[in-house]
Amino acid sequence: MSGRARLALCAAAATLLAGCALLPLVDPASWYLQAAFLLAVQTGVGAAARRVPLARSLTIAVQALVTLMLLTLSFAREQAIAGLLPGPEVFRYFGDLLQTGSDDVGRYSIPAPLSDGIRLMMVGGVVVIGLAVDALAVTFRSAAPAGLPLLALYSVAAGLSDGAAGWIWFLLAAAGYLVLLLAEGRDRLSQWGRVFGGGARAPGVAPSESALAPIRTGRRIGAVALGISLVVPLALPALDGGLLDAAGTGVGTGSGGGGTISAVNPLVSLRDSLNVDEDREVMSYRTNSEETQDLYLRIVSLDEFDGTAWKPAKRHVEDVPGSFPTPPGLGDDVLRTEVQTRISAADWYAQDWLPMPYPASQVGIDGKWRYEPVGRTLVGDHGQTTRGLEYTVKSLIVQPTAEQLADAPEPPEVLKRQFTRVPGSLPPVVAQTARDVTEGSANDYERAVKLQDWFALSGGFTYDTEVQVGSGSQAIARFLRDKEGFCVHFSFAMASMARTLGIPARVAVGFTPGSPQADGTSTVGLRDAHAWPELYFEGVGWTRFEPTPSRGTVPEYTRTDTPGTTVPNPDVPSRSSSTAPSAEPSDSESCTAAEKKLEQPCGSESPQAAFGATNDDPPWFLLLVLALAGLAVLAVPLLPMLWRIRARSVRLGAHGRTEADTAAATLAAWQEVSDTAWDFGIAPDESQTPRKAAARIVHVGHLDPEAAASVHRVADAVEQVLYAPRPRPTAGLGDDVRRMTAGLRATADRGTRLRALLAPRSTVRVAWAVSDGWIALRSRAAARWAAVLRRPSGQNS
Amino acid sequence: MTTYDDRASLTDLTTTAERVRSSVEEVIEGKPEVVRLSLTVLLAEGHLLIEDVPGVGKTMLAKALARSIDCSVRRIQFTPDLLPSDITGVSIWDQQRRDFEFKPGAIFAQIVIGDEINRASPKTQSALLESMEERQVTIDGTTYELPSPFMVVATQNPVEMEGTYPLPEAQRDRFMARVSIGYPSAEAELQMLDIHGGASPLDDLQPVAHAHEIVKLIDAVRTVHVADPVRRYAVDLVGATRSHPDLRLGASPRATLHLLRAAKASAALSGRDYALPDDVQALAVAVLAHRLLPTAQAQLNRRTAEQVVLEILQRTAVPAAPQPPGGLVTGRGSAALGQQPPRRL
Repeated sequence: MSGRARLALCAAAATLLAGCALLPLVDPASWYLQAAFLLAVQTGVGAAARRVPLARSLTIAVQALVTLMLLTLSFAREQAIAGLLPGPEVFRYFGDLLQTGSDDVGRYSIPAPLSDGIRLMMVGGVVVIGLAVDALAVTFRSAAPAGLPLLALYSVAAGLSDGAAGWIWFLLAAAGYLVLLLAEGRDRLSQWGRVFGGGARAPGVAPSESALAPIRTGRRIGAVALGISLVVPLALPALDGGLLDAAGTGVGTGSGGGGTISAVNPLVSLRDSLNVDEDREVMSYRTNSEETQDLYLRIVSLDEFDGTAWKPAKRHVEDVPGSFPTPPGLGDDVLRTEVQTRISAADWYAQDWLPMPYPASQVGIDGKWRYEPVGRTLVGDHGQTTRGLEYTVKSLIVQPTAEQLADAPEPPEVLKRQFTRVPGSLPPVVAQTARDVTEGSANDYERAVKLQDWFALSGGFTYDTEVQVGSGSQAIARFLRDKEGFCVHFSFAMASMARTLGIPARVAVGFTPGSPQADGTSTVGLRDAHAWPELYFEGVGWTRFEPTPSRGTVPEYTRTDTPGTTVPNPDVPSRSSSTAPSAEPSDSESCTAAEKKLEQPCGSESPQAAFGATNDDPPWFLLLVLALAGLAVLAVPLLPMLWRIRARSVRLGAHGRTEADTAAATLAAWQEVSDTAWDFGIAPDESQTPRKAAARIVHVGHLDPEAAASVHRVADAVEQVLYAPRPRPTAGLGDDVRRMTAGLRATADRGTRLRALLAPRSTVRVAWAVSDGWIALRSRAAARWAAVLRRPSGQNS
Repeated sequence: MTTYDDRASLTDLTTTAERVRSSVEEVIEGKPEVVRLSLTVLLAEGHLLIEDVPGVGKTMLAKALARSIDCSVRRIQFTPDLLPSDITGVSIWDQQRRDFEFKPGAIFAQIVIGDEINRASPKTQSALLESMEERQVTIDGTTYELPSPFMVVATQNPVEMEGTYPLPEAQRDRFMARVSIGYPSAEAELQMLDIHGGASPLDDLQPVAHAHEIVKLIDAVRTVHVADPVRRYAVDLVGATRSHPDLRLGASPRATLHLLRAAKASAALSGRDYALPDDVQALAVAVLAHRLLPTAQAQLNRRTAEQVVLEILQRTAVPAAPQPPGGLVTGRGSAALGQQPPRRL
């Protein structure tokens, strides 16, 4: 295998290894295979293009083109021209996909499901990084800078994924980079070895030894560096609170955001502004209901519990019906009032789900919305969000009596099975506690009320937004033991316990009704974000409970004057009298009062849900793009210098031993001489012979005799190569060039030196080459076009 | 065998040439480049046109060169009444042998000094055409070979001078190079006064090389290698004269040939067995300028042919990116070359 092919393989491997860090972000990991395949093709195309050989920029362009075509083939076949050629339609589609992908990223916690959008982001990201690495390490032959894109890839992944087990991914990524460096070093060193390794007499031993020793050294250095980089961070103070850290909390359990529980919540996963210092208005609404305390604005319901997290089940969505069907389980005899609410969302508030009172019966809204019948929620399609929307919702205020709830028959078997499912990993203490708390209850309703009251009143729970419950299935147990948490914990725990008792339960996420304003509207702020359990009673349907102390309002049908076993009949009459006006404001006030401590989590959790993909917390893909863009912006001013360094190392680098190779190396050395002189302000003059050009460089550059001799030596060598019948080989031209450079640097002033380093004039050759290529291309195209035009006339004549 | 001989004579060449040069320089003070150019033309089998105002040593140079070489020398003083037969020779009826006898003219010598060549009528000047180019003379249907080496060294006054006939283009084209001697520096003139005050230094001049040595040197010059880029450069230069807006007449293909031959001789004089673009550059004005006819407009603008040639030299790129002989275009070498970022210039 040639050195370059090995380098290309290593570059691809390094990208893939760094890409491993993305694996925990998405489940399943099938995208990885696809990315690997695309990367392999891209690498192959690069290897082939370099063999031709094309100009380097062309090589990269070809790779990019092929990759784009493959991506088109994989993701946008239907939009493409002939299934393969990307047209404007494809790019638009890609844009849509990426948009959906970013929305999905915002919507789901880690690991996110593999939607098309996310897959495009993953595969595309890896492939783009792969292209950058390949271009840097192989096409431009400098593996070290290739670490930057690799680092960007790893950083994004590491910043977003849960910190757990991160060191494995780091190890993998670092190993990939190290392998790449070693491959390049080996390539380079073995070339030195060949050149210095004596004559052809002992080609076997000397080169291999001289090449191996440095490689071993390189390995040692790499191993030590890797070890240090793993150990040192442990000894340092934690590096929390950076840019990535914010993303980290957004993604994971964050600041104990419910531990396991909050991590469960895909909505929770996007908590951006947990610690909102000011209560931004999310929306305001005006309703014809006289009482707003029950007007919880529900966004989504989380109905799947896997032991660590509550998630919205993936369900079929359909077009928004003109009027929604009757809420499931709502019997005819239950008192209900239809109210109409006009809601306007803030301009900055971008949420995929539509906040609505439950149960809604009719929605008047513009935009692409879809209806999810089980949760009775509206979800935005193709990036539709609530940003700045105004919409009208007709909803029911269901006012069951305690008797109705108490007399509720068994729920349907299907529903019961689905909504009472708890994972085996749920700690037994949960079910045990539930049984203990509800001991002596006659029916599900009593149990539910006892649970709620236990959490809210009698259980000794305190509302605390800064608790560290941790994550995992033990989080609920821990919450029950420590009795500290916020709405997410309360609602998750109560829903879990209700399920263990055989009561169908789910968790709703949304907002409490907010604060009434003087003008009759109500405003809902970030800090009104909330989560609450919904329990199902046949004949009434999904019914809201409020276990969180000091938040929201306790529904009237659950109010008991005495937390005894008595059926809460008395509440029914008192319901109207004890309307929540007092309760509601006090609730929200208490919430605000408690905010110092409490709100952050509460606000944070529900905002997470509420925010969706708001601008406050950039999703990780944005970080990726930003990181890449930042790198690019940083690199642009350095491009001339990088190109120059690159060109110099290529020209003065190792070369073969044949006559042709020597000649090429000599010419390259001469090129380097004239370019270096040019960098120092001595412009090349094509009408001058090597001899005269050398004399001019010596004269204008005020070179000292030694450097002057070096320049003349190179010029002599070039004369030999170009004009002599039997060129006399000249050794040590590289040193001559370096001496000349040193001489020029010694006589130049600081400004000239700086300019020669940072903005070398000779880089204009790149521009020339590009314009030449362009002109050639155009003239070829013109010629072909002329030929095409001529052909028909030729046939005619 | 021949290779060995050639090589030997290449080193001989420098020493012999050095002898001749120092010999000539005993007479022509302070003009080494003129002397070198004369030698170059001699070794390149060309003819030399020395053009300058009277009294700067044109004839002296020609004679010194001729004297330094042990060969037959003839001198022709061109005058308006000189006849072609005076140059080429004439057939005379021999009473005794009852046959025409050929009486060779002044051209039958190894070095012919044509003094004040532009004072003769064009008809007479044209008598030189055949002999200079083909090194032979044809009289009455009979062709007579000229000896080798054969070199015409002609002097002339600038055409603006009184009583001169400008050389026809064809005639000028046959001279390999034209050289102007120019006035000597003050010091050289002082020194000249000393030397020339007494006896003519020409009288003391002894031949330092034999004619057959010169022939051998000429053979050696022929073996000098001219690489493709150098040829291309010569062609580019000459081609540029043909399209230059200031020129009515550009240089001929013969000029290209002369330029390369002179470059070879110049390389050999420098001890190289290959010619450089530097050789071409150094000789371009001498070889090309006298063949060019500036346009009337350029003449009005006082643009001389020399200036035009210099300008062309500055504007023509020296071919450096090679497709050289035996070349770089093999296997990996070319690939490696192709991968260097700037692939042109």
